[in-house]
This record gives sequence, structure tokens and C-alpha cells, in this order.
Amino acid sequence: MKKKRVLALSLAFFMFLFWGGYDLVLSSSSTVSSFQQPKVKKSPEKITASPKDIKDKISIYVFMGWMWLSIFILIYFLRQKIKEEDRLFSYKDSP
Amino acid sequence: MRSCIKSWLDDRLGLPAVFNFLRDKKIPQHRHSLWYYTGSVILVLFTIQVITGLMLLFYYKATIAEAHQSVARIMTEVSFGWIIRSIHSWSASLMIATVFVHLISSWLLKSYRRPREATWMSGVLLLIITMAFGFTGYLLPWDSLSVSATKVGTDIPSAIPVVGSWLTKFLRGGEDVTGDTLTRFFSFHITFLPLLLIILIGFHLYLIQKHGISLPLSLEKSQEKVKELPFWPNFVYREAIVWLLIFGGLITLAILFPPSLGKEADLMAPAPVGIKPEWYFLFLFQSLKIVPAKIFFMEGDTLAVLLILIIVVLFFFMPFIDNKPAERKGKIITIIAWGAVLYGIAMSLWSLLS
Repeated sequence: MKKKRVLALSLAFFMFLFWGGYDLVLSSSSTVSSFQQPKVKKSPEKITASPKDIKDKISIYVFMGWMWLSIFILIYFLRQKIKEEDRLFSYKDSP
Repeated sequence: MRSCIKSWLDDRLGLPAVFNFLRDKKIPQHRHSLWYYTGSVILVLFTIQVITGLMLLFYYKATIAEAHQSVARIMTEVSFGWIIRSIHSWSASLMIATVFVHLISSWLLKSYRRPREATWMSGVLLLIITMAFGFTGYLLPWDSLSVSATKVGTDIPSAIPVVGSWLTKFLRGGEDVTGDTLTRFFSFHITFLPLLLIILIGFHLYLIQKHGISLPLSLEKSQEKVKELPFWPNFVYREAIVWLLIFGGLITLAILFPPSLGKEADLMAPAPVGIKPEWYFLFLFQSLKIVPAKIFFMEGDTLAVLLILIIVVLFFFMPFIDNKPAERKGKIITIIAWGAVLYGIAMSLWSLLS
């Protein structure tokens, strides 16, 4: 029972982090989501880099997801090629 | 059609000879082979630096009046400009970190053994140039923190006797950090340093081709037959996996933790509190900070800077100092190498947390 609760909590935590929740965790100044954030005038002291609007933010996360998916697919194919090339090399190398 | 184009290219470029050369080139496989990947990672990160640097050049303006504003524009107005700047900044940090790892692994594996002395020396020069890239690039946003840190950084050479004050003047383009320093640093950052780096990388790669990849000392002594893999395609495919992971990690870091831009520098304003250089200079910064003002009859700063210079020279000539790596002297130098690594980490953490 306890194990299930821990599992559910960790799953909820990771989902929270995954869908942009890291902003709330990392930023100490804000406790509301970016959807509800009031428009505050930019401080001239510091310019923080971030997506311009919610559309940009979503496209960035979609891009990141797509990028990692492509990387893992490419790695899978590269591993297949490595196995094949190693087999060919050991075949050539053997007397 | 395809074969026609292929044979046309083969005739003009001589590609089969290149591929045969790469196929004949062998890479040793053992438990320390992991360190072989750091060299190509540096090249990948440098390529990313060049591409993102060129993209930033479209919008950056290297004058006091426009530098800060142009960086602010890149971050707020230019489409995905903040990501390009973030990738440039993160790839610089990762490149310097990888150069450190590459050099320290070569030090611990004693890869500078005869006949690879010049390979090591060109590697040390490459580390210095990479750090100079970081130092010159840090000033370009022209915010209060970067200008103050540059003032502190360019003041350090002035502690060197005889040539010190001239060197500081040369770096700043005058007595103080001004617009001339900005244009000077910008010129170094985009012309002189890249040119020098490309020449040195070419020389370093030529030496690696000439002497081959070194084996760890223990394997060389045992004279066992070491398993080898062809560079093309077996090793290149393995490297490609590392490049993809590094690329993914870099983009993720750049998106999740982009660098911010501080308040525009005011040359008349007092220096802000808590000036710190970039992480790769922290160990030097902290070492200079803890030195007392006077040591015996000498100024503390002068003594510390001279000591750092001596250490850099000894590091450069390491292959000639550690000329018998298998003997007692070599073992002591390995302990010193571990000590230097621990010292660097401890000093950086101390500076970061203080």
C-alpha cells in the first residue's frame, strides 16, 4: 500500500516537472502558474531569457520531446550498425 | 545517375583513398577507451560555438552604446535569439569542461610520453586559448557584472614585475576598461583567437595522426595484444552516439537554464557586490583571494601571480619533467595530478559558496 502511494506520488511529481512545472519549483518569486501570471513590468535590473509567450513555450517543449525521441531512434539504429560492423570486422579479422 | 555523380566526385576529391586511410586507422579498445571520446566532443562543441557565434554576429554590435542593447534585443525581440545565445554560452562552458577533462585524462594516463611531447604542449596551448575565448566573450554583453569582472581580471597581470602594467594596458587598450577594451576583446574573440585555435587544432590532429593514439602505461608495459577497432566506421559510429547525447544535453540545458543579462554597465558607478568570474576561473580567483597582502618582503599578489605563471610553465613542459613515468618520480607526479584536481574543485566550490 505504502509502496503504491510512493509510486503514485513520484509519478505525479515527474509529470508535474515534465509539463513545465519546473518553473514553479525553481522560481522562488512566483507561486502561480505561467497561465495565471499577472503582467509585471520588466525590471531594468536584469533581463531573463525565456519564451515570449505560451505558444513559444509549448513549441519549445514539443521540440525538446521530438529532439530526444529522434536522438533515441538514431542511437537505436547506430547500435544496430555498430553490431553489424563489429561482426563483419571480427569475421574479417579471424584466421 | 547516382553512380555517375559518385565516380565524378571520387575522381575529383579522391574519397576512396580517404576512406581507406580511415579504415586502416585503428583505435585501441580497453577500459580507459572512454577518454578517447573527449577529443571529438571538443570538436563538436567548437563547431556549435562557431555556428551559434555567427548567428549572434548578425545582431550584436560591439560599441559601448549598443552592445548591451543589442544583446537585450537578441534575447527579447529576435525569434528564438535567447536559445541561440544560451546554446552559445552553454557550449562554451561544456567545451572548456571537456578540454579540462581531456587534458587531465592525458595527464593521468601519461599520454605525453615520448614521442607525444608536442601533442601535449599543443593541448596545453589549446586550453589557454579556450579559456581566453571565455574571458573575452564574458565582456561582450557589457553588463555591470561582466565589466567589473573584466576590470578585476585584466588587473591581475599588472602584479607581474617589469611587463605587468604594459600587459594590463595592452589587454584594456588603455588605462581602464572602456569602449576600446570592448572592441579589442570583440576582435580577439571573433578573429584572432578562432584563427589561432583552428591552426592549433590542425597541428594537434596532425600529431595524433602521425604518432597514433597512445596506450595507457600499464597496458604498454604488459605488452599484451590490445584489441583494436577500425576508426571508420566502427569507432565513428560509437562517437556519433556520444555526439548525439552531448547535443541533446546541450539543447536541454540551454532551454531549461538560459543565462540572463544584467543591468547595463555604468563606468562611473561603483563595482557591484559579489563580483565573480565564470566557473572555470573560480579556482584561480579564490587562490588569489586567500593570499595575504604581504609575504616576507614581497607583495602577496605579485608572489601569487608569479607562482601561477611558474605552475603554467611547469604544466606546459610536463613531458620533460615526467620523463620516467613508470618510476617513482612518475608515481609522485600522478599523486600531484590528483592533488591538483582536488585543489581546483575545492577552491571553485569555496568561491562559489562564499
